[in-house]
Amino acid sequence: MVSAMTPPLAGARTPGVPPRRSGSGEPDASAPDAELISRSYGDPEAFAALFDRYSAMLYRYVSRRLGPEVAEDLVGETFLVAFDRRRRYDLAQQDARPWLFGIVTKLVARHHRSEAARYRALRRSPVGETVESPDDEVAAMVSATAVRPLLAEALAALPRRDRDALLLFAWGDLSYEEVAQALGIPVGTVRSRLNRARRKVRAALGDANPLSREEG
Amino acid sequence: MDDLNALRALGDDLGHEPPPALARQRQRLLDAASGGARRRAARWRPGGWAVIGVAAAVTAALILVPTVLLRGGDDTPTTSHRALGGTGAAMNLLVIGSDERVSTRRFTSEPPRSDTLALVRVSADRRQVQMVALPRDLMVPMSCHGDQGEPVKAVFAQLNAAFTLGGAACSAKTVESLSGVRIDHTVTVGFAGFERMVDALGSVEIVLPKPVDDPLSGLRLPAGRHRVEGRVALAYVRMRYGLTDGSDLERIKRQQVFLTSMAKEAKAARTGNPVGFARFVKAVAESVEIRPGLDRGTLEALAATVDPDGISYLALPVRPYRLDPNRLELRQPAARELFAQLR
Repeated sequence: MVSAMTPPLAGARTPGVPPRRSGSGEPDASAPDAELISRSYGDPEAFAALFDRYSAMLYRYVSRRLGPEVAEDLVGETFLVAFDRRRRYDLAQQDARPWLFGIVTKLVARHHRSEAARYRALRRSPVGETVESPDDEVAAMVSATAVRPLLAEALAALPRRDRDALLLFAWGDLSYEEVAQALGIPVGTVRSRLNRARRKVRAALGDANPLSREEG
Repeated sequence: MDDLNALRALGDDLGHEPPPALARQRQRLLDAASGGARRRAARWRPGGWAVIGVAAAVTAALILVPTVLLRGGDDTPTTSHRALGGTGAAMNLLVIGSDERVSTRRFTSEPPRSDTLALVRVSADRRQVQMVALPRDLMVPMSCHGDQGEPVKAVFAQLNAAFTLGGAACSAKTVESLSGVRIDHTVTVGFAGFERMVDALGSVEIVLPKPVDDPLSGLRLPAGRHRVEGRVALAYVRMRYGLTDGSDLERIKRQQVFLTSMAKEAKAARTGNPVGFARFVKAVAESVEIRPGLDRGTLEALAATVDPDGISYLALPVRPYRLDPNRLELRQPAARELFAQLR
């Protein structure tokens, strides 16, 4: 398990333009995703630039939902599917993340049993690993660790569609509109799924976590 | 604590950083992108005519073919082919951009591949040229003899496999049965000679409307006129993003201008630089192969009248192949109607 100190997933970023990466020397660093995809029609290997851009992000996402054992292969499969369907990509969408997350979501769905089992296993996981951290974060950490079993149980109990929407939003860092694109549903539907899922999560937390009562 | 923050903390807790082994998945993608590891072990190398473009291969054929086969004023025609040659009849050419030099084909370890294929119809008066690019991943039936006459089993495969199976003759036979258009000549243009052609002439002039610094093609030059040698010339005709937004039409135009400029240079060298011209002819001769050969009259007519800027491009109606969306198949009846125009 990664330390709970891992920083939040991603900050603000311009859609379709790659996040900062450690590796440099990639010549396509500034091209929007849609351009890479259209370039790959004539030069299939240009598609690899999308892999360089997003494979780490997708790996982190899948490893959260299914664990590292499955994540590597599933990310590879995601890009194979994406490559096969690249001619159907809507080139008006500069940012390919919703499209890629949509494919990931379908592939993750094949593993929904093991995903639920993974969350249920967390209910029994030991509470209170001691983590060194700045004082002002300690309270949040302790409470995060304490609520983990409840949270995991709530996630395991969510209907798959609601969970997809919730986790694309919370773990995939997609906006409402992007979740809608990824799942191919209207934004209003995203909103209602998210509201329903968050209500259940809050209810699960509210029983045990006094801090959650602070917000109405 | 906010439910979303709690969720995000859980996510951070559960997540893993990508391992170095993720690179294997990148290779898996590259294998698929290179036309399928399923089909062949060797990876398709980017480069060659596929990168430069089908229009450039056709333009090169139309410009270079007459130049080389006239052989600097030698009066002997390469082959007499009166039945099809001359200026009396329309002529169909199958232009094959091959990714290696024609003359050494049998001695290389990797089989030759046709990067680009185009069916070209030159009108009877040699003034109109119509071109249909044939995608190399078009699925077609083929049944050919090999280069040496050995029989090859009938297969259903992607179009560029014909060249690997049985050379230009097999490509022509495959395209003929696919389109119903009789192919009069195949023109195989190798790619490797391009740099040497330019180098034989010393250099060729290009004009840049603005400075270029394009890491993709490796070209970095200030605006204005430049005389460039082979390596830079190659980067220049390949370049897609340095000058414009990557428009393919702009690049096709630039390639045609470059090849025309090279042809002019070659004409000048013919009298002014006989040594250079001889080297140029040799480089072209090693790169272009016409079967059956064309007679001098036809070549001269082509050289004199064909205007590479006047080529009209026809789009072949295709759709994803139903068994493998990564491949293409003809869309009927539109494809039949298109081919009918070329008969």
